[in-house]
Amino acid sequence: MGLLGLLVPEQYGGAGAGLVELGVVAEELGRVLFAGPYLSTAVLAVNLVLALDDPQQCAAVLPAIAAGRSRVAVAFAEGAATRPPAQPTTSFRDGLISGEKRFVLDAETADLLYVLASADTGPGVFAVDPAGPGVTVEPLTTVDPSRRLCLVRFADAPATAVGAAGSGVAALTAALDRSAVALLGEQAGAARFAMEMARDYATTRYQFGRAIGSFQAVKHMCADMLLEAESTVSAARHVAATAGSTGWIADLALAQAYCSDAFVFVGATNIQVHGGIGFTWEHPAHRYLRRARSDAHLFGSPAWHRERHLQEIGA
Amino acid sequence: MTSPDTQDEALRREVRDWLAANWSPGTDRATFAAAMLAAGWTAASWEPDCYGRGLTDRQSRLVTAEFAAVGAPGSGHDRADLFACTIHDRGSQEQKRRLLPPALRGETKSCLLYSEPGAGSDLAGLRTRAERDGDDWVVNGQKVWTSFATTADYGMLVARTNPDVPKHNGITFFMLPMRQPGVEVRPIHQITGESEFNEVFLTDARVPDANRIGEPGEGWAVLQVALGYERRLMGDVARTARRKEKSSGLVELAREAGCLGDAHIRQQIARTQALATVNRWNNQRAKTSTDRAEAATLLALGKIAMSRILHETARVQTEIVGAESMLTGPENPVGDAVTFRALNAYFTSIGGGTDQIQRNIIGERVLGLPKEPDPYRDAPFRDLPH
Repeated sequence: MGLLGLLVPEQYGGAGAGLVELGVVAEELGRVLFAGPYLSTAVLAVNLVLALDDPQQCAAVLPAIAAGRSRVAVAFAEGAATRPPAQPTTSFRDGLISGEKRFVLDAETADLLYVLASADTGPGVFAVDPAGPGVTVEPLTTVDPSRRLCLVRFADAPATAVGAAGSGVAALTAALDRSAVALLGEQAGAARFAMEMARDYATTRYQFGRAIGSFQAVKHMCADMLLEAESTVSAARHVAATAGSTGWIADLALAQAYCSDAFVFVGATNIQVHGGIGFTWEHPAHRYLRRARSDAHLFGSPAWHRERHLQEIGA
Repeated sequence: MTSPDTQDEALRREVRDWLAANWSPGTDRATFAAAMLAAGWTAASWEPDCYGRGLTDRQSRLVTAEFAAVGAPGSGHDRADLFACTIHDRGSQEQKRRLLPPALRGETKSCLLYSEPGAGSDLAGLRTRAERDGDDWVVNGQKVWTSFATTADYGMLVARTNPDVPKHNGITFFMLPMRQPGVEVRPIHQITGESEFNEVFLTDARVPDANRIGEPGEGWAVLQVALGYERRLMGDVARTARRKEKSSGLVELAREAGCLGDAHIRQQIARTQALATVNRWNNQRAKTSTDRAEAATLLALGKIAMSRILHETARVQTEIVGAESMLTGPENPVGDAVTFRALNAYFTSIGGGTDQIQRNIIGERVLGLPKEPDPYRDAPFRDLPH
């Protein structure tokens, strides 16, 4: 379907589509909690390469991503935060990288890593071969089995600079912002699906001789889930459609904070509507809550995004 | 065949030309209203033989926009005049000829006589009685939450005319003349200190049978028509409302109170702003959606969303101003404003159907969940416990 190259410009073998199209795909991927390396490779890595504006790198990497021949992971987070550090402790010197990156999405299966590291010329992005010397990839045990996060250690691993020197933090921030449109779409699609699960269960589960959805206590939970799920859809589509406009970052930050909380609410309430069966591992309800709790911190926490919103509007 | 765009442009031009010939700010209002009624602009989507021009709803909105552009009054009765719309849909020919022209010229005003002290969420449980007496009906009972009761010429009344059948089947709809001795209006003193609403006491008030809309016992169905117009009007208002202060003033309030640097307050402000912003995005989606079901879903959600925004905004304002929130009155404007917001939020979370009833409606009509079983569904009204 050409979805891997959706964001890849046509000159590099992709579809050259925009964020609206990405949002549509993301909603569908979110509904089924798609576990493949789409967000890491086809979205974040592509956005990062495009943001770095390095024609050589584009030509080397983008056609392979679009053709499904390459999987690329982006290593930026350190310590407890999931935003790019202004001064990474991971450092680049004389062609070698040393340090530790956490929460690296799909690093285990990647054949190329982009790493944010400090350098004499300021923080930059560096390409590293995960199979090369000095690289250890350790899968983390994640609350959401469909999101594979890894700890990646670098000990004098050979690395090549990508893009302009010192442009790393700005490029990563831009890439994360555009990629957030996909994360929002996934949250919206998944929230809607979890709401539908609850609605369907409330319609078919009988207790006291009647469908439990006829009890107002359950009905009102479903109505609240609908409000949150539809709000995530509106938010995701709004930021996808207005990308790059004045005030977009302020809107994006608000949307990321809201959709994270809203999806967690819907995922959690879905379990409550399901009662006992929702507390079992075999029932899929908990998978949506696991995804929601993971998504809420993948590209920065809700509180971080709220603070970012206020700073963006000058408060 | 001309394209819709060409037709729209021709319509706009026709309205503009007519306004240029008939309207100026100094024009005598009565003369203008009569000319407008004759031209069919007051209710342009109605049939040509019923004071309209047979336009579509969308075209009628274009007409209203042209009137609004020059500040000319009186257009859009086919959407905003619940009295006229109900008569148009459910009244007899005689009622249309007699009652519509004065309403469309803006000479008669109306109010709603629906809720009662004992019939709020369960409106069909209303107890105000209407009994036939010659050519009239005699009405006794009490109505509440009536806006504009003191200035209205007609009250849109639902009253019980048959207590021996199940509650929905014994109700009849009337246009009750308000200016008569049997109608007593008393303002309701609200928790905010304001008085926007009234109680209306009906003591042997009389309404001619000629003002009965629909058959006796069919009032509930007529009421649904009137409520449908009311909901549509509320939806229009919600969708076209421009939020002037995007931030609800929370940032400014916190800055003035010296706590804008407080991390906890900052989080609360951003949380509340997100509620308001996302609600605006929901409304935008409803407005641009081509899917009627999607738009209806979003509008149904809008009411509980707005309740939460208002209550949360007031709560965060209270946190920001702190101890000032204990004070009120003109000498304490900060605390006074916050308390007003906190109390007035109930206007939205109770008025026009409580949030809880709205969640029932969303659950049943949008999500398709089953209704609560009603053991008295088939019981005659007079046997209901109360």
